[in-house]
Amino acid sequence: MTALEELSRPAASLSNPYIERWKEKGGKVIGYYCTYVPVEIIHAAGIMPFRMRATGSTSTELGDVYAAYNTCTFCRHSLDQAMRGAYHFLDGLVALFSCDHIRRMFDVWKLGKVELPCSPFYLHFLSVPVKADDAAVEWLAEELGRFRRSIEEHFKVSISDEALANSIKVYNEQHLLLRSLYELRKQEAPPISGTEALEILIAATSMPVEEFNAMLRQALDELQSREGISGYRARLLLGGVDLEDPAYIKLIEDLGGLVVTDFLCFGIRDFWDQVEEDVEPMTALARRYIRNVSCPRMIDHDGRQEFMEFLIREYRVDGIIIQRMKYCDLWGGEGAMIQWDMRKNGTPCMVLEREYLMSSMGQTRTRVQAFLETIGGY
Amino acid sequence: MAGEKYEVHRRMYEVLKGRDAPGAKMLAEWLEGVFRAVDEGRPIVYHSFALFSEVIIALDLQPLCCEAWDMMASRVDPQHPLKSIDAAHEAGIPSEMCSFDKAILGSVMRETMPPPSMIALSATPCQNAYITYQAVAHITGAPMWVSDIPYNMDEEGAREYWVEQYKGLIAFLEEQSGRKMDYDRLREVVEESNRCVEYWLELMELQKMKPAPRTGPLWTGTYAGMTSFGLPSSTAAVKATLDRVKNDIAQGKAAVADEKARAVWFHFPVGWDTGLMKWMADMGVSVPFVEFDGYRAEPVDTSTPESMIQGMARRALEVPMVKIAQGATDRYIEDLLYVIREWKADCAIIAGHPGCKWITGAHGLIRDAFREEGIPVLLYDIDLVDPRVTSEDESRTKIEQFLNMVLDRKN
Repeated sequence: MTALEELSRPAASLSNPYIERWKEKGGKVIGYYCTYVPVEIIHAAGIMPFRMRATGSTSTELGDVYAAYNTCTFCRHSLDQAMRGAYHFLDGLVALFSCDHIRRMFDVWKLGKVELPCSPFYLHFLSVPVKADDAAVEWLAEELGRFRRSIEEHFKVSISDEALANSIKVYNEQHLLLRSLYELRKQEAPPISGTEALEILIAATSMPVEEFNAMLRQALDELQSREGISGYRARLLLGGVDLEDPAYIKLIEDLGGLVVTDFLCFGIRDFWDQVEEDVEPMTALARRYIRNVSCPRMIDHDGRQEFMEFLIREYRVDGIIIQRMKYCDLWGGEGAMIQWDMRKNGTPCMVLEREYLMSSMGQTRTRVQAFLETIGGY
Repeated sequence: MAGEKYEVHRRMYEVLKGRDAPGAKMLAEWLEGVFRAVDEGRPIVYHSFALFSEVIIALDLQPLCCEAWDMMASRVDPQHPLKSIDAAHEAGIPSEMCSFDKAILGSVMRETMPPPSMIALSATPCQNAYITYQAVAHITGAPMWVSDIPYNMDEEGAREYWVEQYKGLIAFLEEQSGRKMDYDRLREVVEESNRCVEYWLELMELQKMKPAPRTGPLWTGTYAGMTSFGLPSSTAAVKATLDRVKNDIAQGKAAVADEKARAVWFHFPVGWDTGLMKWMADMGVSVPFVEFDGYRAEPVDTSTPESMIQGMARRALEVPMVKIAQGATDRYIEDLLYVIREWKADCAIIAGHPGCKWITGAHGLIRDAFREEGIPVLLYDIDLVDPRVTSEDESRTKIEQFLNMVLDRKN
């Protein structure tokens, strides 16, 4: 099996052989719900961070006991998975005020309505500012200090500055490798599709980072000799809410749109920026995490607009698709603003509403087809 | 004349200014201030209901609370917020976002709300508000300040951070307006808002009486907080309501003479069903507490600029809705149960406004907590602004069935 094939596997399930091996060796795993959780701190404690997904869920029957009809279906499926014990490999969970849906889902865990995978189970809620000025960085640096201490106390470990510096280095390396991968996507005939890229990004958050880095290095070598994708109808930027199902991108790509870049949590927003290595670690992490390419939870629409325009130029984007999960308020407003912006700069842009599971795909297919025709990529 | 552009509000102003009631005068004065600012080109500061207006008033800028602007218009023209909501939908804003916020956006788009010179926002109570205000800033080009708020205010350093945000707000307003804060003037304004608060708290305290002197929202307090906090007109409005309530108590009058049960109403009242509380009263049920009146803060210490800022920052955390929206559900539940106890309620009605995911997302946990306490609670879905989502019949049927169950249980 090639490294590329191997990296495509973790996206298919919640747990995977890497996690199983890690657990067999007595390793701990902490789940986290959002790109604003500094995984370096978890890693420095010798614990594997795992980005929460709801992969494999087929219903929200149990989750709906606590989640309301207007809670997004990602949260409802994830909660359902939690109540069914699907996160059995977790030793802890970290969340933050990513959105009103996630914070309430965390409360369901916190108030004892989910049978916890182990005892004592680590639960932590981070207070992350919504803006990124110096005062916010200072606040977050202190908050991350509290996060660090709480992990130390709960897991009875010590997180040294040296360990943190090492973790920052390891994740920076991951970010650089992923940027190299994205560099290939700028080519006229990129050797990798958007579907494959998403699978790799999911693997990046679902296995020990050192193993991932080694495997991605191999995969990058494999891609050097791979024939590029040509004959597509349009180069697309895919943005929007948390997306963890590669089949969604496959649907778009099967219709001839090639996703060459993205504005996703399992994507550019997760790895684009580096943590400074010559600065006190908590300050460096605080700066990076709230000055990273932002998601709409941050008061930074102008920054996002500027970055998206940069992506349009760099990746020679013909059109933008924003996929928005129903009931997501943040992407509801942001998606509309992006459309207003793109109308001004002349880049075709479409907002697609979706649910967590692939449903109403006939309608989505029709809309994508029509969009591709509008772009003129035919 | 610029005023003619805002025809619905202009009409409302004409109605209000002819009235003697201090509540009407307060609102007329506020509207007049907005129109004058438009005519004279004086800076208008948009602010959400989660930020009181004292510092804006002390800098002699014109506050415009966007939520109040639209809510008020529906009294004159019930179609006004609906037209704005439709305009927001047409511009791509999804239907399931908060209709208070959609109305604001639509009003900005339709230019039925005077444009802002600057925007002051608090990053609470929900994300509908801050994505909406970002969109408003985007459309109008007005500079915006956001007072960031730590998630858990009991955390180390959280209050200090919040106070610094309040100072940042003042610095932002100074910079944008080119004016310097006169702290003696701010003291006058805050002493005035302190008096208003004192009356407001007394009023809320009287509502604990059985039978309750008033049922349903005590609008003057809510509007005072949203439009004119720190101006004598708001103090007069709240005091007048207090005096009327005291007078009624002295005469042995109650809102529901034969009070069979008491319900607390969590959330804003149903804006389009103005007869709802009277209809509930006819069933013998009073509502002594509406969450939007539920302001429970101490006066601000005006001895120094620092003490004033600290006090105002602390008080801003007690704004109805902000108090319960910030932080985790257990804190919210704790407050709900406190209100039930203090206002001696038999049951609770919690409106699940579609935009308020932080409330509906807590429904399951609230239901469990209330079950444990043995308190009946109605968790029902209703759009508080847009009657097209749930009809009056549907809404009232649910309430009726619930209240009948509560009354049966009491008997």
